Amino acid sequence: MHIQYLHWNAAHGWCGANALREPAQLVLYFGSREGLTGGERYRELRGLYPDSHIVGCSTGGQIHGDDIADEEIVAVALRFAHTKVRLVQETIESRDASRLCGVRLARQVAAPDLAGVFVLSDGLNMNGNALIAGITEVLGPDLLVTGGLAGDGTRLEQTLVGADGEPSSNRVAAIGFYGTSFRIAHGCAAGWDVFGPRRKVTKSDGPVVVELDGEPPLDLYTRYLGEEEAAAMPGSGLAFPLRIHDEAEPDRQIVRSVFAVDRSAGTLTFAADIPEGCTAQLMRANFDSLAAGAGEAGRQARDALADGIVGDKLAILVSCTGRRKVMGQRTQDELDAVAAELGDDVVRIGFYSYGEIAPPAASGRCELHNQTMTVTMIAEAAA
Amino acid sequence: MTTHRLLARQIRQSTDESGQVDLTRLGELVGAAYEESDRDRRRTDRAIKLMIEELEQTHKRAEQDSLRAREFLDGIIENIPIAVFAKDAKDSRYVLLNRAGEEYYGIPREEMLGKTPEQIFPRDIARAVSEQDRRVVDSGTPMFLEGHLLEVGVNGHGRLVNSRKLLVRDGNGAPQYLVGVIEDVTERITNEARISHLAHHDALTDLPNRSAFNAALDERLVRAQEASTSFAVLSLDLDRFKEVNDVFGHPVGDMLMRAAADRLAAEADGAFVARIGGDEFMILMPNDIRREEALALAERLVEVIGKELEVDDYLSQVGVSVGIAVYPDDGVDAVTLLANADSALYRAKREGRGRVCFFESEMDQELRDRRLLQHDLRQALEQNQLLVYFQPQARMNGEVIGFEALLRWNHPTRGFVPPDQFIPLAEENGLIIQIGEWVLREACREAASWPRPLQVAVNLSPVQFQAGDLERSIHQILLETGLAPTRLEVEITEGVLIGDFTRALNLLRRLKALGIRIAMDDFGTGYSSLSYLQSFPFDKIKIDRSFISNLEATPQAAEIVRAVLSLAHALNIPVVAEGVETEAQRAFLEREACEEMQGYLIGRPDLIERYLDLIGVAVERRLYA
Repeated sequence: MHIQYLHWNAAHGWCGANALREPAQLVLYFGSREGLTGGERYRELRGLYPDSHIVGCSTGGQIHGDDIADEEIVAVALRFAHTKVRLVQETIESRDASRLCGVRLARQVAAPDLAGVFVLSDGLNMNGNALIAGITEVLGPDLLVTGGLAGDGTRLEQTLVGADGEPSSNRVAAIGFYGTSFRIAHGCAAGWDVFGPRRKVTKSDGPVVVELDGEPPLDLYTRYLGEEEAAAMPGSGLAFPLRIHDEAEPDRQIVRSVFAVDRSAGTLTFAADIPEGCTAQLMRANFDSLAAGAGEAGRQARDALADGIVGDKLAILVSCTGRRKVMGQRTQDELDAVAAELGDDVVRIGFYSYGEIAPPAASGRCELHNQTMTVTMIAEAAA
Repeated sequence: MTTHRLLARQIRQSTDESGQVDLTRLGELVGAAYEESDRDRRRTDRAIKLMIEELEQTHKRAEQDSLRAREFLDGIIENIPIAVFAKDAKDSRYVLLNRAGEEYYGIPREEMLGKTPEQIFPRDIARAVSEQDRRVVDSGTPMFLEGHLLEVGVNGHGRLVNSRKLLVRDGNGAPQYLVGVIEDVTERITNEARISHLAHHDALTDLPNRSAFNAALDERLVRAQEASTSFAVLSLDLDRFKEVNDVFGHPVGDMLMRAAADRLAAEADGAFVARIGGDEFMILMPNDIRREEALALAERLVEVIGKELEVDDYLSQVGVSVGIAVYPDDGVDAVTLLANADSALYRAKREGRGRVCFFESEMDQELRDRRLLQHDLRQALEQNQLLVYFQPQARMNGEVIGFEALLRWNHPTRGFVPPDQFIPLAEENGLIIQIGEWVLREACREAASWPRPLQVAVNLSPVQFQAGDLERSIHQILLETGLAPTRLEVEITEGVLIGDFTRALNLLRRLKALGIRIAMDDFGTGYSSLSYLQSFPFDKIKIDRSFISNLEATPQAAEIVRAVLSLAHALNIPVVAEGVETEAQRAFLEREACEEMQGYLIGRPDLIERYLDLIGVAVERRLYA
């Protein structure tokens, strides 16, 4: 596999080095919502790579190498020696159709030699959990599916996904990689700790928590954030995700971030369903624990990648916008931690998301996460 | 000196391509980082403060919850009617006592709480209590004592309690409390004992009952089989007990039964005596007994029971009949032994009461036949196997004045079953009431159809007098058939009067008042108490056939017939002679001024069709009508 890295900024337009000797099969790009709106950048890329699949999404910050860029748009163009690439996409008609959307995507991408799937989805209008359930229902639990939900800074207003077209809302794209040479590995870790008393979800409706211990959840968050920061909800609420404990699945650790707030009702909407009657506990983190969590994700991915790799190696980092919210300028520390684990020979690109898609370390079942660093490594082995 | 990683990064970000550091930019970055750190610190401080508050609230709530739970449990413990106490496991000082506990000990809790058993109870009791406590504490296993006497407390004396003590450990596993529960089970235990006694004893005599007897017999059979020994089962039935009951009433009957049972138990001397129902008893004799010994005991019992009993100022006499079956000769299982003892008893009673019989194998057959016959008899009525025969009754000059209706049973395989075989059976199982009513109805219907208004005589069984509403049933039949009451004659034996004399007499009076005639049947046999003739104005006396048939053979028979006739004539009661078969007999009776006769000389019992001419029906008319 050969990788060409390139980026765009307002001053210089698209710049890239190490041009590929053969046409790229796949171009991945990430940018801010403003940066991608209008489709100008996509059209430029299409001009550069007329025959490639071009896939990208809006983010809460773009990762390239050790840096986070908000102004720049980052991209990689990939040329595989043996691996085939297919791009499929769906439009989400409604949140309720999320599972069906996953089923349709998976049916399009399915093939006997399918070796891995990377998914980019609208981050606000999709029930990420249901989407993944639909995909794994068709592809089975053994095929590795990773990816992320598009972001919108900490504004949580509109997210965009583009798949061989101008980026738009309500879109989900899946990239299928085929062939026996293709290698994919992943790591997924968080670094958050629970604190405070356990609370009962006394009333909920899908992803909307109506009451926690009989009181509106917004009151709880307002107390913890203070009036000033609470005004910046839901973005500021990313600092306090909830750990959900369901008696039915005691071993499963689920972390959920606030996605939307209804100030008049005092309710909060989370990234996925929160069953009534389950236990919820606030979580918090410090800079060091989050960086250590990211390093752990990097180590897992590195360890999981098989030997005998030929050519370049790409790491796609999908980290949660909530982590960046907490870490501020220290966010760099988590990228450093991943880099230290992966080593210098791995090209790193990625973005801050509204949800990470990957199997957690403990179970093999693919799930939607919040507040994690997820590292997906792709490479090729000798034929 | 090492530059902080963040500062190094900030400097790098503030440095342009020429290596010039933009101080304003650097200041902004550093300022923002301070701001971020401050915000994070504030957020953390706030979270810690809130968390502490919340945890305190949670703790307080938990404390309140636990207090409420405690009050709830205290309320229950205080009010349950079982004594509950708790002591310190180290020194047995009381730390809790509920209201029921105060009542049991008879000591208010203020005087018990904080004190050791030694400070509360007498020394010996305190020592026993403390020893128990030590045992539970040292072993860690609960103590459970059932149905023991309460050893302490003023109210506890004489009470039976279940008590338990168990050890409660603290969080580190060290003994903390001894919890005790004392439940008063006095009533329960006495009730259980009483119920158990009642279940195995007869309430009237307090002798073991049937189920206790069966259990004892089963046990004895097992032992006898193991040891190859023999033993005897005696089946006893009081004779004439029913008559005592009828004459003197149940209270006296009960007293008599108790007295008889006492005598049996005293005389049986170590044998197992059980009352298994009504006036029936069973005796299980000890192992390895010889037949002579069983017989000796049985005869002793007959003698003892036969002695007059004085009960409540009444002098009364009952007897007992005994049947004996011996294991293993007469049966090796309970069912056979009991059945054979019963057959022997049946034989003893039939041979004339106050007898003792051993089982013999032909009895077995006899008893089986009897049961079979009884079974068949139940079907006889439904399947029209019963018939009514008529036998003419005539004046001495031969003029027929009426008929006696006689019951016959034509069994499909046995043929005609003699009435003296099946009527006692019907009386035994009560079927006679239905059968008697049927005969009465048939006889009345038949008589009502006769052109000549002849008499019809029907026999009534003593059982019909004792049970059911005979008067109503006769009345109903007369109305139904349209027979004039004056044409009906009922024949009774003195057995009718032996039971409840007053009741029978009243019934006879009421029947007579309807216009029905009453005849005394079988006169001269049995007791033939003359007082009966005095107490009721019979319309007729029937001299038993045995005297008539002996008229020519024995002079005594003629004398008796003469005496009866003169007695009846003195009382102005007409006499019918039964069983008149010869002209000589008729001539004798006519000479002695006997009024009427019945017998083969006049005509055998037969279907009425045989006597159509006598009842005034032209044969042709009857046959072709």
